[in-house]
Amino acid sequence: MSKALDGLVVLDTTTEFWASLAAAMLGDFGASVIKVEPPGSRSAPDARAWDHLFELANRNKRSLAIDVEQPDGRAAFEKLVAKADVFLTDALPSTLQERSLDYASLSQLKPGLVYARGSAYGPSGPDRDLPGDDALAAARTGIMPVLPQPGQPPVYTEAGQMYTTVMLAFGVMAALRHREKTGEGQQVDASLLGGNMYGGSLDLQAFLAMGGERFLQPVSRLDAGNPMSGVLYQASDGRWVTLTMPDTDRWWPDLAEITGLDVDDERFNSHEKRCEVNRLELLGTLEDAFGKQPSDHWRNELDSRQMSADIIEDYAYPAADSSVVRNRYVIDVKDADDGSHRMLGFPIYMSDTPAELSNRAPAIGEHSAEILRGLLGYSADEVAELEAVGAIA
Amino acid sequence: MTNALDGIRVIDLTVWFQGPVAAQHLADFGAEVIKIERPQGGDLARGVRSIKAVPVGDWNQYFLVINRNKKSMAVDLKEERGREILHKLVKESDVFLSNLSPKNLAAWDLSYEQLHDINPRLVYAMTTGYGPHGEITKPSFDMTVQALTGLMARQGEPGQPPIYLGMGSGDAIGGLMAAFGILLALHNRDATGFGQYIDASLYGAQLFLGAPSLQGYLAGDESLARQRSRTDASNPLRNTYQAGDGWLMFAMDNVDENWTKLAGTLDDGALSADARFASAEQRETNNEAVIAAIDAALAKRTVDEWMSDWEPLGLAIRPIANLQDLADDPQAWENDYFVDAYCEEVQRDVKVRGLPIGLSKTPGSVRTLGPELGQHTEEILTETLGYTWDQVVELKEQGAIL
Repeated sequence: MSKALDGLVVLDTTTEFWASLAAAMLGDFGASVIKVEPPGSRSAPDARAWDHLFELANRNKRSLAIDVEQPDGRAAFEKLVAKADVFLTDALPSTLQERSLDYASLSQLKPGLVYARGSAYGPSGPDRDLPGDDALAAARTGIMPVLPQPGQPPVYTEAGQMYTTVMLAFGVMAALRHREKTGEGQQVDASLLGGNMYGGSLDLQAFLAMGGERFLQPVSRLDAGNPMSGVLYQASDGRWVTLTMPDTDRWWPDLAEITGLDVDDERFNSHEKRCEVNRLELLGTLEDAFGKQPSDHWRNELDSRQMSADIIEDYAYPAADSSVVRNRYVIDVKDADDGSHRMLGFPIYMSDTPAELSNRAPAIGEHSAEILRGLLGYSADEVAELEAVGAIA
Repeated sequence: MTNALDGIRVIDLTVWFQGPVAAQHLADFGAEVIKIERPQGGDLARGVRSIKAVPVGDWNQYFLVINRNKKSMAVDLKEERGREILHKLVKESDVFLSNLSPKNLAAWDLSYEQLHDINPRLVYAMTTGYGPHGEITKPSFDMTVQALTGLMARQGEPGQPPIYLGMGSGDAIGGLMAAFGILLALHNRDATGFGQYIDASLYGAQLFLGAPSLQGYLAGDESLARQRSRTDASNPLRNTYQAGDGWLMFAMDNVDENWTKLAGTLDDGALSADARFASAEQRETNNEAVIAAIDAALAKRTVDEWMSDWEPLGLAIRPIANLQDLADDPQAWENDYFVDAYCEEVQRDVKVRGLPIGLSKTPGSVRTLGPELGQHTEEILTETLGYTWDQVVELKEQGAIL
């Protein structure tokens, strides 16, 4: 079956999980992703080892172990760049410059190259050259203190980097589209700061527009802005019910009925009363009501009325959910010994060119000879010579 | 100036956040995005009056920012003539994007099969709640889907309520996925001549959002499903800590070099000599003791005082900012992660969430904030679809448009 990115050649020099995963997403949809690695930069493959995060971030790639500091290695690498559509990196600007892997050097070899960098803090500003870390970027966004209940420690979710992953892949596709029309390449940047900020975008935007102390501190769940939306109530078995019904006029009659309230209750019979005048009273009333029955009861009631609500689950739920398998959000992968492993699958469904797992993460240098011969036209002797001088491995 | 997505026309039949923000990414890079809204009030997000019980004030940033750079057409899809307009627009478009229920879309003659027949080049993109092969049919929102993923249950201190990853956190990743998927499908369309059906669901996108821990759970580490106290962090050097007047984020590897540098600054170096913490392995085994010792030491001084000790040492530690700190952060502004934009409604510049994806030669831009309901209905009918003014008047009289 054909794939969306058939024929696209991506050189991936990333080392961070979130940046490598962006290249893997391009590989999932058919791009020929070559993981360009310095020989010896990771240990020799052990067929039995299964490094699950590495496997996820490097699936659908081939590995070329090449020393670009050596003249022969550099020459082969330059030929490779000339064949490439996309170059991906997460290295610091100073390192890229030192190794002549900066945009100016590489775009000379391949006009039209899309040069994408996953950075810590973006291509401009005082901290553009700093190394980064998802946790430090998260700490900078102002979101960590507002996530928990009042009085609790700030929360680091690890999720910010994932926005950066998809932003980087999206940026590459947008730049490719421009290149198709004009032949012009360019630089793409997606940063951990930008990703973490984007994940918190509604809080950020609300603060920018409205300001005020309330956005700087956690808001108690029993002080939520809308008692029927974005709230948590505890059921009698200790589990949590969440509701998202921003349009309270539509859902109030159903909610009142299942919680045993009078739909015409004078305190709550308009959106304004529910969300403004008697907001805190409704929060308290619903908290009491939900506390009277266990979560299974609530799930039945809420589902039978097709209400936008659910019970908080842990990872055991998606791990056991058959729709997750049918949608290929989780897939099974075989290792070299035919052992089976569960791996996150493909969040994007495409009817005609679906994502596929073509190969698991490569061992270092696993495809060096194949790439040099197949893509660059080197002879077997030339490959052997490069191996002999240590230019490739 | 040229834009990366010049020449792409997108029909944006979406409401609330995930769908609109997907189209916003395309609009930021120059696609012509036409938001289709019902004449009776349009997108419900136009009605947002408060956030966290704070009144939105004189401009509804919730709606105006995610619908920026778009045109609005008010069309009644319950009317035969309204559906006709949409079918004509489909012929002239590259992308159809919706987050309405597939049942509604079919009832309005807007199923994939129908639109594909009208324009085989069309990319038909859905942002459903639970995926194309899901069974759940109830309305889906960010947090009710996040509830099922397991992401919330593992956050925060043991015994505390689950924690939502932030307002719009799930919609935001779903919107990005959809935007990326649309560009994949357009790339393929240019090669083959055919559009296709794509879906980036809230469920799939949010499971992906959990990758750093969910992948480990799938690989067998069940502890990753549960809340874990900061007082029990496996690497004490990667953790939150409270100084005298605020919180700090430590993001260091548990290696001797980092420990030696850090310990040298705490309690006059007393911890450096503590044999329980001498090796990486011991610090992991005795993690609770290490954390308690650091906690006790840090409480004695302020964040600024500690940072002035640590900065020369190059330790990966930052104060945990609040939103005011971010609003004042030059890094956010100089990268256009925040920008100023003119708001027609209030006739002044306002501060908005900017452009998180940087393209050096064809950067995104914020040209206009969200349109008025039906602001471009007549323009699109006459200029894009070739309706005469008489026909426009007639459509209005019939109630097919606003």
